[in-house]
Amino acid sequence: MTIRTTLLSGLGAAGLLAGLGTGAQAASICFAFQDLETEFWVAGHLAITSTLTEAGHTVIERNANEDANRQLEQVNDCIAQGVDGIIVIPQDGESAVTIVQTAQDNDVPIAVFNRPPSDTSKGIVVVADNATIAAQAVDFVAQQAMAQITDRPIQPLIIVGDLGDPNAVGRRDGFYAALKPYGDKFATPIEVASEWDAATALANLEATVTATPEIDLIFTSSDFLFPTIRSVLEPRGMWVPRGEVGHVLMAGLDGDATACQLIKEGYVDATGVQDLYFEAESALTAILAAVEAGEAQPNEVIADPGFALTADNLGEREMDMWGCVLLADGFLEQ
Amino acid sequence: MTTSVGPTPPIGNPPAASPLRRVLVRALLSDWFVLWLSLAYFAVLVPFLPTLALPANLANLLSNAWPLLVVALGQTFVMTIGGIDLSQGAVIGLTSTLGAALIATAGPPEVLSKAPIWGLLISEGGGVVAGQVWLGVLAMLIAGALVGLVNGTLIAWLSMPPFMVTLVSMITIGAFAIWLTQSENIRNLPEGYVALGKGDLVSIYLGDKDRSDIPRRELHTLIGQAAVIATALAVALHLLLERTAFGRQVVAVGANRRAAEIAGVPVKRTIVLVFVLSALCATVGALLYSARLEAGRPTLGEGSFLLDVIGATVIGGTSLFGGKGRVIWTVFGVIFFVLLSNSLNLMNLSSFHIDMVKGGVILAAALLDVARTQVLRGST
Repeated sequence: MTIRTTLLSGLGAAGLLAGLGTGAQAASICFAFQDLETEFWVAGHLAITSTLTEAGHTVIERNANEDANRQLEQVNDCIAQGVDGIIVIPQDGESAVTIVQTAQDNDVPIAVFNRPPSDTSKGIVVVADNATIAAQAVDFVAQQAMAQITDRPIQPLIIVGDLGDPNAVGRRDGFYAALKPYGDKFATPIEVASEWDAATALANLEATVTATPEIDLIFTSSDFLFPTIRSVLEPRGMWVPRGEVGHVLMAGLDGDATACQLIKEGYVDATGVQDLYFEAESALTAILAAVEAGEAQPNEVIADPGFALTADNLGEREMDMWGCVLLADGFLEQ
Repeated sequence: MTTSVGPTPPIGNPPAASPLRRVLVRALLSDWFVLWLSLAYFAVLVPFLPTLALPANLANLLSNAWPLLVVALGQTFVMTIGGIDLSQGAVIGLTSTLGAALIATAGPPEVLSKAPIWGLLISEGGGVVAGQVWLGVLAMLIAGALVGLVNGTLIAWLSMPPFMVTLVSMITIGAFAIWLTQSENIRNLPEGYVALGKGDLVSIYLGDKDRSDIPRRELHTLIGQAAVIATALAVALHLLLERTAFGRQVVAVGANRRAAEIAGVPVKRTIVLVFVLSALCATVGALLYSARLEAGRPTLGEGSFLLDVIGATVIGGTSLFGGKGRVIWTVFGVIFFVLLSNSLNLMNLSSFHIDMVKGGVILAAALLDVARTQVLRGST
């Protein structure tokens, strides 16, 4: 099974394709994304483009290379080309507001995929409940930590994303919300800035771990930083699987293939899962419904409740996580 | 001081030159070469990409050109003295952030409370001069000018290479801008500021006359506030370069610094002023970019932005070797560069392919510069 068919089956492709491909005229959809740097974006891009193409729609792709101004110009280009609808993965919440406004001013329906605008009242906004998902993952490792460490405060560390991105803010909020009920059992968390950049995260985490090596629990705001964490912890003898002395409890968020593999290997204990398939399907269905109905300014927030995949529920929920589906398909071997 | 600002010294045709060669040489050295090239490129592509000629697309082309032109004008002066300014992108990030912080009408504490500027320049009620657009713009210009002053002073008085000085500026100023807000963007800009980047002055509608409701997407901006700002700046800098002693000094410094010194040109002062001018142009670019994006952004001007600025300037014909540069060339260079980007987008090429093509075109422009220089040497 190829990644594409895996993704399509994950999307419930038979029903979805039928819904997208019949009854409505083939639409021209502009898909503007900010980059394809992480597994989540790669898989999301593939799911959206292949599903639309399979359904007979035309996809105009625009990659902004992490440049908000370029993305705005690309969206304007798409509008000038007369596209029927736009799906955008914006650079950040602020530029998303401007882009949504631009599209709506020009009577083009627009859906924002996964990275919500600072103001979610405009456009179709498909977004994971980052705070709740993060809290579920963090709560699991917090419980583990409290069971293991009883004679001193537990030292947690959070790698935060770019706080201009509402996703990053929600994940940080979820982390703190999960630890709050346990009061002084946890020391003040150490915050490491990543700005969603692996090199920045590496430099900051190196400095932090050198200064404070007694870290019991790490939460990364995105799974794509696990390789970075490994490169910092491994030389210090802190990259140890569950059940062995020196294991640092670890949780993330996204649900990518790397996280799935690391949970199986015991290095990572939990990850919050965004339901990529649900999000892609919701975005496509909503934008195509708006196009078919001739609705120029559809406004709707579609929430992805998500869940946490943990070492405890791995056996039951593994295949609910998109990263594990990709992993089973050999994604990391390609 | 006898150095000519003009682009084309009299061309002496060697006796053996064929008519075709003479035409080619004249075309190559013409002020209008890049404009003809742009028109030819447009005419060739339109049958295959009819979208290119749609009014909406032409309006997009213009709106994309204005901020790039403003920044490229500053780079034109720097290149004319034989330098390069790599710090323009960082100046854009710094000044857009600073200006936005000062004039924002509100500051969300959940986003900005950990930023060093919180409570100093901006708080929940907005910036310290919230809503006062012109005070914010003035502060931006002062900050930009200071960066240019430091760059120019180091280059002129310590004889440091412009590449190295502005590279260091790019890194430090860029990091400083990100530190100021801890990488956060600043929204809630006053409407008057946003209008500077997005405001319409003249719009056109080409549809049926008897329609009572004209859809917004069929109204195309012909002249916006950004167009007025960019055009006014271009005219002013054109006059400065072509009609003033300072302009002639800029060309003289680029043509031969030693000779200019001997001729009494205040070389160091000229260099400093040129780098201040470049930073001021970048600041005006920051104004236009942040206004159209409706946010001050410390990362504005990062990435491949400098490729666009330097590319447009070089394509226009400003010499990489110094001593040759005209504002009108840069105007044509920006038109060609924006047209190239737009057409490659319309061909649905990936961003990687687009950047590769842009790089190739800039290389071709640099080779053209070498060829022009050789032709000029051979003909004088």
